[in-house]
Amino acid sequence: MPNDPLATDAVEAVDLSVPTSPELVRLARVTASGLASRLGFTYEEVEDLRLAIDELCYALVGKGHVSGTLRLHYAIFDGSLEIEGTADVGADSDGRSPHLSELSELILDALVDEHSLDVEGLHFRLVKRRV
Amino acid sequence: MTFDPAQREELRQKFVAFAETRSPLLRGELVTAHLGLAEYLARRFNNRGEPLDDLVQVASVGLLKAVDRFDPVRGVEFSTYATHTIVGELKRHFRDKGWAVRAPRRMQELYLRLGKIIANLSQEIGRSPTIAELATEAQVSEEEVLEALEAGQAYRFASLDAPSPGDDEGDAMSSRLGVEDNQMEGAEHRATLSPLLSTLPARERRILQLRFFDGLTQSEIATQLGISQMHVSRLLARSLAQLRQAADA
Repeated sequence: MPNDPLATDAVEAVDLSVPTSPELVRLARVTASGLASRLGFTYEEVEDLRLAIDELCYALVGKGHVSGTLRLHYAIFDGSLEIEGTADVGADSDGRSPHLSELSELILDALVDEHSLDVEGLHFRLVKRRV
Repeated sequence: MTFDPAQREELRQKFVAFAETRSPLLRGELVTAHLGLAEYLARRFNNRGEPLDDLVQVASVGLLKAVDRFDPVRGVEFSTYATHTIVGELKRHFRDKGWAVRAPRRMQELYLRLGKIIANLSQEIGRSPTIAELATEAQVSEEEVLEALEAGQAYRFASLDAPSPGDDEGDAMSSRLGVEDNQMEGAEHRATLSPLLSTLPARERRILQLRFFDGLTQSEIATQLGISQMHVSRLLARSLAQLRQAADA
């Protein structure tokens, strides 16, 4: 949309809601790689994106012993993909608080262009741009 | 498979005798007598991406273990005991091979084919190929490429020490890394960043260092270590999963 004054708005968006089990967090990866593929991402970029999603989803919901829902929002821009994840965790939380180790931060720095984890809001955001 | 009562009694006596004498001759006879069971069970795991011959071999190893461990005085039928042992051996084989037993064979084959295509195309065009380019080259849809890549990564939660599917690169890489031990010093230094890193084997630590600290791409690491890019990708995913679990332990 070269003439659109609101060109920074997402061209398309996809929402996904999955239970917080590792088996289903897989769908977060599959959806991301499907959208990245549409954007013409390379194999390496897709692999980076998948690793980043694993890292952030795990930071948010752990091994999936916590029952709840992970809501994902995928915003597709011209040449980039923004993914936000929010955890709705039930009252039977195991008390594990979301966190990113220093190592995870470093790993994510190398994998994606932007990333953040809001511990209070149980929310993450990442941006991956096509080279 | 069935034995008539006379055969059953003869086998039972052989088991009792073998339990006492551990005679290799008796052991051979007992194994041979039950090979049909091993083959029958191996067939039940056929069409899951492993050659039947290999499965029969694995099942026979299970049978051998069952013969060695079977205690005839416990009153359990040998066939019952052996079935359990053999199926366990077959399942372990698939797990060690890294395939989730459920991954469809077609996807496993495509995944292995993609490994070669990625290597060739990267070399040809001088950059990492897009998913669309991989699909064109493999003559499948983009969805199938993505599905195969996902299926191939199913090892993620499998045994961490297991060799990767379709790879005979593991040995080549570890021997190569042995030579490059002096280069590990950098990694050792970085390891102070997180004691977690030290829980990883040296080669995985090195790959992590090259990718995340030195900023090399997967294909550059693949070239440097003389392994496929897909293998680098698998090892990275596996290491990160291991680090996350270690961090939570």
